[in-house]
Amino acid sequence: MTRVLIIEDDTWLGESYARSLTADGFQAEHVPNPIDAMASIDARLPDVIVLDVLLTATTAFTLLHELQSYGDTGAIPVVLCTNLTDTISPETVAPYGVVRILNKADITPEQLRSAVRGALL
Amino acid sequence: MESSEGKQFFGGEMPSIIAAAHELKSPLVLARQLALEARDTVDLQPEVEQLLTNIVHTNDRALRLATDLTRTSRLNETIVDLEPVNVRQLCEDVVQELSPLFSAHGKQLAVKRQRAAPLVVAHRDLLRRVLLNFSDNALHYANEQSKVMLSIKEQRDKKLVRIAVRDFGPRVPARMWHTLEEAMTRPESIHARPQSSGLGLYIARTFSESMHGTIGAIRHKDGSTFYVDIPASEQLSLL
Repeated sequence: MTRVLIIEDDTWLGESYARSLTADGFQAEHVPNPIDAMASIDARLPDVIVLDVLLTATTAFTLLHELQSYGDTGAIPVVLCTNLTDTISPETVAPYGVVRILNKADITPEQLRSAVRGALL
Repeated sequence: MESSEGKQFFGGEMPSIIAAAHELKSPLVLARQLALEARDTVDLQPEVEQLLTNIVHTNDRALRLATDLTRTSRLNETIVDLEPVNVRQLCEDVVQELSPLFSAHGKQLAVKRQRAAPLVVAHRDLLRRVLLNFSDNALHYANEQSKVMLSIKEQRDKKLVRIAVRDFGPRVPARMWHTLEEAMTRPESIHARPQSSGLGLYIARTFSESMHGTIGAIRHKDGSTFYVDIPASEQLSLL
């Protein structure tokens, strides 16, 4: 079963994303911060990461740098899920393994599922 | 706490409106996501499904305002890239995007039929947001069962294209209209129709001016027209 790790500091939102993905057959886990994310990744590598950009006390880029510093974690495709889509260019974040940028303000559960499926291709 | 850090932290300067708008987006995004998830639930009663749909639409409107407000702050820091934009296609996109919202309110949004499909020099997303803004406003004031119309008119002598949103609803009182007309040209605060803070007009004007356009309004006995005048593209004339 495909494993998706969701990193989102809004717990209700992260859990909602997890339920949407679980309903589509993924094994989805939500964590609220990069420290818990690295612990989860160390325990078992996810197949896709869904990552909020603005996290409590830090940003996604701290985690992305960390992931890119290792060969195995650097290969995990990342889907950014953010309110800042008009300030982030795909070219800037592509080197960090980001394959898709989603706008939290207008995505639907189906679009999230579709983005995760697309990241696996 | 009496330390200077304490005074600065507690009850210091009022956060900027832009920062507040950005912060407001998070709970709106959450409410929208939860309503969408609930709506996906199987065996939902139609009335409940409609309520959840209405929640999503309402959140979408609020998110548009919050997103637009945060965007106005960034316009001062960036150069807006302008390009030829097909106005008729843009209007049809706006109608497609907002039709579910209008339907939910028992109203319609449509583009007035015309042959011309002029190009303007604009930022497509900003111009789209101006039209979404005007249409949201029209939705609020249009009569039940009425049709809000988008129209496009070339003003060749001025090398402008006017995109207008006409609603059919109550006439705005003369005094209020006079205030609105004055405020549209004044650099400071804008006040619009009754029960409106003028936030939408402020956003529309900021976006339009960043594209070298202007906004305006026309009062009718049976409603209002809000419009944006945008420079016409001369690209086709070069062929």
